[in-house]
Amino acid sequence: MKPELIHGSRSRILAGAILAIAAVFVIRLFYLQVIQHGHYVDLAQTEQVKRERLPAKRGEIYALNDTTPVKMVLNETIYTVFVDPVVIIESGESEVIAKALKEIAGGNVRDGFETQLTKKDSRYQIIATRVTRTQAEKIKAKEFRGIGFQAVAQRVYPEGQLAAQVLGFVNAEGVGNYGLEGFMNEELAGVDGRLETVTDISDVPLTVGDRNIRVPAQNGKNIVMTIDRNVQSKVEQALAAGLKRSRATDASAVVMDPMTGRVIAMANLPTYNPADYYKVTDAALFNNATISAPYEPGSDVKTYTMATAIDKGVARASDTYYNTDSIKVDDRTIGNAVLGHTGVISFQTALTWSLNTGFVTLAQRLGDGKQITRTARDTMYEYFHDRLGLGQLTGVELANEQKGIIISPNQPDGNAVRYSNMSFGQGLDATVMQVSAGFSSIINGGNFYQPTIIDGYITDEGSYQKAPLKPPVRKSVVKATTSSEIKEMTHIARSMFPGIDKPGYYIGGKTGTSQVIRNGVYADDETIATYLGYGGSDRDHPEYVIMVSIHGDHRVLGGSTDAMPIFTDISNWMLGYLKIQPKGR
Amino acid sequence: MSPQNNYYVSRRQQNYSRNQNTTRFQSAVKLGPVAHTVLVVLMIIVLGLIYVTQATRTTGYDYEAQKIDSQIAEYNEQKSELEVEKARLTALETVKNSSVAKEMTTPSSTQYVQE
Repeated sequence: MKPELIHGSRSRILAGAILAIAAVFVIRLFYLQVIQHGHYVDLAQTEQVKRERLPAKRGEIYALNDTTPVKMVLNETIYTVFVDPVVIIESGESEVIAKALKEIAGGNVRDGFETQLTKKDSRYQIIATRVTRTQAEKIKAKEFRGIGFQAVAQRVYPEGQLAAQVLGFVNAEGVGNYGLEGFMNEELAGVDGRLETVTDISDVPLTVGDRNIRVPAQNGKNIVMTIDRNVQSKVEQALAAGLKRSRATDASAVVMDPMTGRVIAMANLPTYNPADYYKVTDAALFNNATISAPYEPGSDVKTYTMATAIDKGVARASDTYYNTDSIKVDDRTIGNAVLGHTGVISFQTALTWSLNTGFVTLAQRLGDGKQITRTARDTMYEYFHDRLGLGQLTGVELANEQKGIIISPNQPDGNAVRYSNMSFGQGLDATVMQVSAGFSSIINGGNFYQPTIIDGYITDEGSYQKAPLKPPVRKSVVKATTSSEIKEMTHIARSMFPGIDKPGYYIGGKTGTSQVIRNGVYADDETIATYLGYGGSDRDHPEYVIMVSIHGDHRVLGGSTDAMPIFTDISNWMLGYLKIQPKGR
Repeated sequence: MSPQNNYYVSRRQQNYSRNQNTTRFQSAVKLGPVAHTVLVVLMIIVLGLIYVTQATRTTGYDYEAQKIDSQIAEYNEQKSELEVEKARLTALETVKNSSVAKEMTTPSSTQYVQE
C-alpha cells in the first residue's frame, strides 16, 4: 500500500505552503526572465555597452615637387592637459606637479597654472594645451594622480605660409574653411566609424553577445594638388620683391599650363600662416584674390577683342585705322592713355601701345563699321562670356570663387558705351583666374580647359593615383589661325622691351593698367597694374601662362613698370626650371 | 561470491531462444530516486560549466586583441610624428636655409646640347 499524507494533516498543510511559496518564486522568475526579458536586456545593454565614435583621419594635402608629391598639410595629435584640483590637493603633490610640468611642457602651460592646481572649488582645470605626444608620455610616466589628457587632432603646415590661400585652414570644429580645405571638406573629412560593444569594467571591448556593431571609419582622401611648391615659392618671392619695388600693398599671380588647365602656382600677398589662422585679425587675408576678387581687367582684355575681330574675319594685325587719340561713342569720348601715335596705324601698333581707340574701332567693325551695333555686342558677349569664360565661374576646386559681371546686350546697361569700354577691358568685372583661363584658350589653339588644382590622390596604401587629364570644356573657341596670330601679336608687343627675356625663347604678353572705382567713379590716383603673358620654346609650344596683378592704396601703378618685371622674373626662372630648350635666337 | 549479492539469472530461463549461452550480471546495489536526481543535477551542472567556459573562451582573447590594438595605435602615432618631422625637415624653407644650400651658387650660364 502506498503511504500518503492524511487529508487535513499538518504535514499536508506544510507541503501545500511550501508549494505555494515555490510557485510564487517560479511565477516571479517567469515574469522577470520571460515577460520582462527585453526590458532587462536593454538595461544591461545600457550599462554594459559602450558607444564610441571612431574618428576618421582627415585627408592630407600634397603639392608637387616637379613630379613627386610632397606633403603640404598633415595631421598631428596634440594633447590638452587637464587636472582635478581636489585630487591634487589631497595628494599634496601640487608643487612637484607644477615643477614637472614646467620642465617638460614649459612653453605650453598656461600662465598662472600653479594657482589652477589648487583651486578647491573646481574639479576640472585646463593647464596646458598643444602638448606633443612625447611631452604627454613624459608627464604620464611620472604617474601623478589627478592629471588627465585629451587628444586633439591638429593640422600641420610644414611649409608655413606657402600657398596659404590655396590651402585654406581647418577650424577648431574640424571644418575646412576657404581654399581646398573648404571646397573639398567632405572628401577630406571622411566618415566617422561607430563602435557599439559590451565592455568590461576597464572598457575593454568583449566579443560577447550578438549586438556588437563595428563600422570602421573611412579616412578622408589624400589629395595631390597640381601646385608645384618650387614654382609657388618662386612666385611668392617675385611678388614680394615686386611689392617692395613698387611700394604696393597687395599682389596676386597665377601660373597655369595652357595645354591642360592645370594650375601650377597661385599666390597672393599679403598672406598668413594657416596654422595660426586664429591669430588673423583681417579676414580679407583668407581670400584668394585670384578667384574671389573680380575687378576691371583693363588692357589685358584687348587680346580678347583682337582675337574676336580676327576670328570673325573683320580685322587682321596688319589692318589699319585712323587714330586721332580719341573716339566718340554715343555721347561719350574715349581717349588713349598713350598719346602721339596719330594717323594711319595698324592694329598691331594699337596692341603694342595699348591704344583704346584701336579696340573701340574693332568693336565698331564687328558691327556696321561705324557703330557698336547689337550684332557687335552680341558677338562680343558670345566670345567674352560664352566662349572665353569671363563672368562665369571657372569651376576650379577652391572655395569662394566669384563670377564677376559681364552685362549682356539684352540688358539696358549692355549698350554701346559699355561695350566700347569692354573692348579695352573696362565696364566688366572678372577674376585673374578667369582672364588667365580665357587667354590660355586663345593661345593654345582654341581649346578652353577648365582650370584644375587637383592632380590626383594618394591611396591609404601610399600609392599615387594621377587623375586622368580632362578634355577641353569647349573646343574651337577661336580658330587655330587666330591663336597663332594673337601669339605673334603679343610676342611683337613684348619685343618693345628688348633684353628682358632669356634669348632663344618665344615669350609674349600684354600689359594692363585699370583704374579703380571709388564711390561709383573712376579714381585718378589709384590703379591696378597687370601683365598677362605666356612663354615657351617657340610659338607652337606655349608651356605656361602667367598673369600678375599688383595694386597699392592711392598708388598709380603701370602694367609695364610694375607688373611686367614680376612676370619677367617668374618667366625667366620657369624656363630654367622646366628645362625648356631654346629653339631660336 | 555470496549467492545473496550476486546471482545469475540464466537467460535460458527468460528466453526461449536456443543456444543462448549468455548471462547478465545484475548488481544488488541500487540507487534510489533522490540519488538519481542528485547525480543528474550534478551532471547538468558540469555540462553547464563546460558550456560556459567554452562559450566565453573567446572573451579571453579580447584582452590580447586590446593589447595589440593599443600597440598598433601607438606605432601609428609614432609613424605620424615621424612623418610630420620628415615634412618639416624637407620643407622648402628648411632646405633653402640649410648649410648645403648656402654653399650653392647660381649658375652663370646654362648651355643646351642639341640632340
